[in-house]
Amino acid sequence: MTSFLLRRLGFMLLTLFVMASAMFFLFRLLPGDPTATVISPALHPDAQAVLKARFGLDKPLWQQYLAYIANLARLDFGYSFETARPVSEVIGDRLANTLLLLLPSLIAAYVVGALIGAFIAWRRAGALDTIIVVLATALQSAPVFWVGMMAILFFSLHLDLFPVGHIVTPGRQMEPGLMGYLDPDVLHHLALPFFVNFAYQLCFPLLLMRTSMLATIGEDFIDLARMKGLSERKVLMRHAMRNALLPLATTLPMLLGWAVAGSVVIETVFSWPGLGLLMVGAVERNDYPVVQACFMLSALLTVMGTFIADLLYGALDPRIAYE
Amino acid sequence: MLEAISLTKTYPPRMGLSMPWRRPAPVVAVRAASLCVAPGEVLGIIGQSGSGKSTLGRMLVGLEKPSSGRIMIGGEDVADLLRRDRMAFYRRIQMVFQDPYGSINPQHGVFETVTRPLLYQRERDTKVLQARAKDALERVGLRPAARYLETHPHRLSGGQRQRLCIARAMILEPRYLVADEPISMLDVSIKWDIIRLLKRLVTEEGLALIYITHDLATVRSLCHRVMIMRAGEIVEEGPVDAVLDAPRHEYTRALIAACPSGVPEVAA
Amino acid sequence: MRLLLVSGRQFIRVVTATTTGKIALAICLLCLVIGVFAPWIAPFDPAQKHYEAGKLLRLSPPSWKHWLGTTSLGRDVLSQMIWGVRPALLVGFSVALGSAIIGANIGLLAGYFGGRLDNALMRFTDIVMGVPFLPFVIVMLSVTGKGLWSLILAMVLVMWRASARIIRAQVLSLKEMPFVSAARITGGSELAILYREIAPNILPLALVNMAFTLAWAITTEASIGFLGFGDPDVISWGGIIYDAFASQAMYRAPWWVAPPGIAIMVLVSAVYLVGREYESVVNPRLGGR
Repeated sequence: MTSFLLRRLGFMLLTLFVMASAMFFLFRLLPGDPTATVISPALHPDAQAVLKARFGLDKPLWQQYLAYIANLARLDFGYSFETARPVSEVIGDRLANTLLLLLPSLIAAYVVGALIGAFIAWRRAGALDTIIVVLATALQSAPVFWVGMMAILFFSLHLDLFPVGHIVTPGRQMEPGLMGYLDPDVLHHLALPFFVNFAYQLCFPLLLMRTSMLATIGEDFIDLARMKGLSERKVLMRHAMRNALLPLATTLPMLLGWAVAGSVVIETVFSWPGLGLLMVGAVERNDYPVVQACFMLSALLTVMGTFIADLLYGALDPRIAYE
Repeated sequence: MLEAISLTKTYPPRMGLSMPWRRPAPVVAVRAASLCVAPGEVLGIIGQSGSGKSTLGRMLVGLEKPSSGRIMIGGEDVADLLRRDRMAFYRRIQMVFQDPYGSINPQHGVFETVTRPLLYQRERDTKVLQARAKDALERVGLRPAARYLETHPHRLSGGQRQRLCIARAMILEPRYLVADEPISMLDVSIKWDIIRLLKRLVTEEGLALIYITHDLATVRSLCHRVMIMRAGEIVEEGPVDAVLDAPRHEYTRALIAACPSGVPEVAA
Repeated sequence: MRLLLVSGRQFIRVVTATTTGKIALAICLLCLVIGVFAPWIAPFDPAQKHYEAGKLLRLSPPSWKHWLGTTSLGRDVLSQMIWGVRPALLVGFSVALGSAIIGANIGLLAGYFGGRLDNALMRFTDIVMGVPFLPFVIVMLSVTGKGLWSLILAMVLVMWRASARIIRAQVLSLKEMPFVSAARITGGSELAILYREIAPNILPLALVNMAFTLAWAITTEASIGFLGFGDPDVISWGGIIYDAFASQAMYRAPWWVAPPGIAIMVLVSAVYLVGREYESVVNPRLGGR
């Protein structure tokens, strides 16, 4: 068990290392001088040299690479080209904002999706089954940014129920710390993106639950449970659903990782100050250190999601023994 | 002549949870098995599942490499021949497998199934392929061949599929054929048809057959000589009547006692 | 060739077995037709600016002349919509095909040869599994520059990962089948066995994955267009939404924003449904019907 954990952790670090290296060389492949946007060629050469030294750009490539990796290992992402502030400061609580947007809606989608999926599989609902599946597929297929825009159009502009974007009312400051996220104003801003992401994420757990329920219902032990005289509801809850929950539980962390990677679009629509929005802006402004940091952070979450999914799978499925 | 001299096959131990200082012993599938078979002769290899008889058969056709020992085919060393001219070896010895469903590629039609060996032997001429496919199917009793050539194997019965497998093996005109439990997955009514077909190929075409089975009834009607295998070792061998009527080894006796008697006579 | 015909026929038979499948397939084919014949179907040049009484026809609501109204630059929305099918399908099919080719080959090689090659290829796949998809595509585009083919390349580089794993698992069980042994002892070389005996059997599974990749690629192409990283010279559905979003006029002109989103939703759903219908028969893990 311990050796399995260590091996997986080691591989996780290797994955991140490979990606970090790829990032580093990708940006150095850029045609032209990537620093030209930051350090104006019009400046006095001495001033240029000072700035280059500050960003560590005066050293040979391999030294820059080693320094980059060493800094990454200490979670030091360097300085933003644009603002010259430390990247960690620029990122601040962007990651937490992204998670605030994604995590609750993802969990809600999982719970509701699983219940609906279980229900339509259990009832073998026929026409209703088809309708629900098609609807869920449509929700998943609609571009999430477009659904967001439509939601703003209807609920914010037409009905004036929710703000059109941002995490707090402009002009207000968010309270620091956890309490900031429980601020009614923040929750009010969260509501619309929450529902949009909820609708988008609903389909996957629904279909997964439906498929595994359909497979479980056919198994002998369900008939056995029925023969024991358990009520239909108890058979559904205690036996069928519990078995179908395994694939569901193990995919949740993985999906969270993917959701973070995909949060760019939903954050753009709602001007939600998360990691994705920061990254898009940084790409547009050629602020590579910030881009790199955002990329590595979402990579970290994706990789960690897979890692946790693997652990959960081992912990929940008694048939799996760690090698 | 096909000769195997002291063939042994061992598999490396399973690397499980065992401690490094307690290496499990390697698994011996076949231990020091020797045999020979001549054209026109049928050698039966009898044993229960796990006795190593299939591994022995797979070694004879080159699907498994013997851990030690050697095989000679027509006076040539098989390991040498495989290295020098793989194709020539496969033209001398072929195999029919137990499962007539799994041994036909589900994506292939009858024509493709039966001619694929020729394609692998660099025969590309469509006319030649057509003619030989027809010939091969008729030889195994799939007549009229033209009708079968157009169908897909999934339309065929188990017995017809096994005939197709035999046709595929025979299309290369091998002198030796290893049949690994060719009837164990077929209906009782069909299995004697297959046995009759194999018998005909031996008597009419002078094929040498190695018939691997656990079915004693078919052995008596088909084989000239038999070998009894148990746990990777050959415990008894000799002419079929001698071994089956007057078994010397205790295990052979037990095996015969466990089998229902009543062997129908089969005409070739 | 024959194999493609056979699989194609099987594909259509399976998918059209249900009403949902029939409708979904019809939608896909309709889009294909629209995409191919876009220049003849579209009422106007999508980039043409329309004037009325000498004034630019800005944000005109739907009318008989402009069924879906006009954009803030006086362009016909319907024509843009029709032209927008092309990049969606081009990107979708190219990415699906590219990913399937890479993924299938990696899965085939890893599953068939096993050992060190398998280990190396699968660890590599695991690393790629950790790549955050959309950020990666954005970063790649910022390096290579915006363009349809750069976008396709960036997407293919990541999206092969799913089919590689699934196909490897299938190859692992296929290579134990006796027909592989039969091919080997009739003279089939390793490569012939892999590509002539085993590969045709993973084709249905590869097709299922292609459908899912196709759907995902169309959505991603729209997302990239919406984020403003799309090819500026190509009219795409995502790009239309981006234009509407960037012009700040989208909330005043629903006829401009709604159609591209609906189009993406309908097409992507149709592709998903077709893929799932086919999968329910083909995927051994779903047990067939």
